[in-house]
Amino acid sequence: MRRRGIGYGLWVLLALGLYFFENNAGSRVVLICTLLAPLLPFLRRALFRPAEGRRKPRKAWTQEVILESQARFQEEEEPGEIRAYMPGDPVNRIHWKLSAKREELLIRENGREAAWEEARAEHSVLEETSASFRKRNGWSGACAIVAGLALLLLFLIPEAWRGTQALLNRLFEVSEGVNTYVYTRFPMAEEQSVGLATLLLSLAGAASLGAIVLSKRKAPALGAAAACVAFQVYFGLAFPAWIQVPLFALFALWMVLPEWNPRQAGRILAVIGLVSLAVWLLYPGVDGVTEAASEQARDWLSQRAEQFVNPVSESGSGENETRHARTMALQPGDQEAREDQAYRLETVEEEQISLPHWVNYLRIILLLLLAMALVILPFVPFLWMNARRARALAARGVFTSENISEAICAIFQHVVAWLEATGHGAASNLPYVHWADALSPELPAGYARQFEACAQLFEEAAYSDHPMTEEQRRQALALLEKTEGWLLARADWKQKLQLKYGKCLYA
Amino acid sequence: MRQEWEQVLAEIEKVIAGKRAVIEKILMALLAEGHVLMDDVPGVGKTTLAVAISRAIGLEYRRVQFTPDVLPSDLVGFSLYDKDSGDFLFRPGVVSQVNLLLGDEINRASSKTQSALLEAMEEKQVSVDGNTYPLQKPFLVIATENSVGAAGTQLLPFAQMDRFLVRLSLGYPDYEAQMALLRARQGSQPMDQVQTVLSKDRLCQMQREAQQVTAKEEILDYITRLTLASHDQEELELGISPRGALFLDRAAKAKAYLAGRDYVTGTDVREVFLDVCTHRVLLTEQARREGKSVEGVLRELLKKVETPDHHGLTGWKKR
Repeated sequence: MRRRGIGYGLWVLLALGLYFFENNAGSRVVLICTLLAPLLPFLRRALFRPAEGRRKPRKAWTQEVILESQARFQEEEEPGEIRAYMPGDPVNRIHWKLSAKREELLIRENGREAAWEEARAEHSVLEETSASFRKRNGWSGACAIVAGLALLLLFLIPEAWRGTQALLNRLFEVSEGVNTYVYTRFPMAEEQSVGLATLLLSLAGAASLGAIVLSKRKAPALGAAAACVAFQVYFGLAFPAWIQVPLFALFALWMVLPEWNPRQAGRILAVIGLVSLAVWLLYPGVDGVTEAASEQARDWLSQRAEQFVNPVSESGSGENETRHARTMALQPGDQEAREDQAYRLETVEEEQISLPHWVNYLRIILLLLLAMALVILPFVPFLWMNARRARALAARGVFTSENISEAICAIFQHVVAWLEATGHGAASNLPYVHWADALSPELPAGYARQFEACAQLFEEAAYSDHPMTEEQRRQALALLEKTEGWLLARADWKQKLQLKYGKCLYA
Repeated sequence: MRQEWEQVLAEIEKVIAGKRAVIEKILMALLAEGHVLMDDVPGVGKTTLAVAISRAIGLEYRRVQFTPDVLPSDLVGFSLYDKDSGDFLFRPGVVSQVNLLLGDEINRASSKTQSALLEAMEEKQVSVDGNTYPLQKPFLVIATENSVGAAGTQLLPFAQMDRFLVRLSLGYPDYEAQMALLRARQGSQPMDQVQTVLSKDRLCQMQREAQQVTAKEEILDYITRLTLASHDQEELELGISPRGALFLDRAAKAKAYLAGRDYVTGTDVREVFLDVCTHRVLLTEQARREGKSVEGVLRELLKKVETPDHHGLTGWKKR
């Protein structure tokens, strides 16, 4: 609950930020959606009826339910429904008093059970709404890594980076058509190829989507929402409302959903579709007043920032004033707008020449790290095998330990690990003494009995306090030798590698 | 020690054939100082069994047939005014005089009588008029509950059922056992042939020894994991109580002691688990509607929870 509170708070901040920077229809809708988000659990409860009996109520709740139903039962004067006696009804349910009055046998339906059922039903709805945080899904992590790598490549390959900028420029064009606002373009030739950038971007997008879809946790959804907002704020552009709303609605629903299942997904998508259709119909464009307010706020902020960075320079304010004035007068397709845009492109180019070197330093550091990784990589298998070998030898050291009980435990665990690794184990959650009957029939004759005897030894070693004898250790070692010899003689190279270096070592 | 128990078993089996498993469980409860609830149909030999046990071990035996008008004072005793001395004299009730009490059809007793008995069972003492009188040692109650013809009875409340160590049922004998039973009754009365092979004092000593059986941390961990898993099991409304876990431990110790070991293994816990726990847990309405049985659910639990062999204390295989 606490974690979700923080997430929600962050999100509200982001939405407010977006609204502050980009006061247009999209950001307004986002803000409204955000502020209405706490209502979503109720919406969800209304939309998706809880799957019955999926989870068991917690103990504390059960107690509550019992108390509640008892209280209800005591309160109620009416002991449930009364109906005529039918053959086969339990005799102790007969309402003797009423029966005597009306001179026919009457049965009272059990009022308590009804109250109980009612309390339970109510309770399960409450239970459903408290979402559970699930453990991280492995595939989701992999997808996130792929997305990260794709983005890294996007920044590292100049070709791809320029392509991305070209794509962004195109996005600006689209955005301008909607917002009647002029964006700062990236300086570049218009014929820049965008193939690689598109490929990497779509890979990153698909992988992030995969990460979100596969993950059972809320963090990716929150992260994606934050990234979406940050992207828009950073580039000073806002998607049109009919993209914005479904996007954020998706994130929002994601955050309140306890788990993913295809049927619910279908319903969610349908709802989002309807909402975006409605938004598209209701908010076709942007009005001039909010646009002007937004622009004013942006100017004010950048002015403050400039004064903060460079208090001596006074030149910025005048330029900003005019920009504000110009935008106020801006009409779609205005000649002045084109000029303004050209002017900005120039200034941006100048800025970029003196642009900071930290980006380059970052790239150099990343490249160095990559180079180091490439140098170390070929040696990794050898290092791994050596470590495994050392561990194996250390593990075998236990077999001759002073503490015979410990040794017998280790030996037996080792035998079991080998049997399991080669598929000869019983592979069931039974105590090892019961394994003898379930072991693979391929094992040599008499092996099962020997195994059972050793399993008893193991139990004695593991669970008793008294010391074991050398003789018993020899017995266990005999089983170990037999097992190892038999298994290694029949193992192929892959299994041998696994047996000698793999996970099945007792450690 | 094992031979002594074999002798006891042999003596009891003279009168009850083919029920070795149940008899062993009752002896286990006796060793664990717990009480037995028999859920059975009439006429399968509960009384015979109790008499045979009391004879083989040399226990004082009494049987109480519970009816709604058996009063608590019948069980725990009462104080009587003695005119000569001008003082109150304590007349001990039936529980103070016996080692083995067979409470027949406990569900027919009124609830205050039930609770008086259950208190005596739990505390091993009775209190009358502010004075506390310890019961004889050992003290074992075998209570029976008839599952048929339960109309007009006071079913044992769930909380009181929890106080019995195990719930068992003898069930009908199979063909062989039935034949043996009839054959044995042809000539003499087999009950007369049962001899006392174990003394009361020896039993008390064994009870003490049984509680000193080693239960390592791994075993306690296993019991705890089973208990907690029963709380999380979907089908169970009420899981195993802490008392249940304690009894599980005690029963497993007695089981190990009966097998002649001085340490408890995971197998011991598994083997006593069903007998100790089936009467302690409550299925949810839904599970009952789906036709699930308590035993099935508990078996599932046993399958699911890793045995200490596999798990160790810290999950040694996973390291």
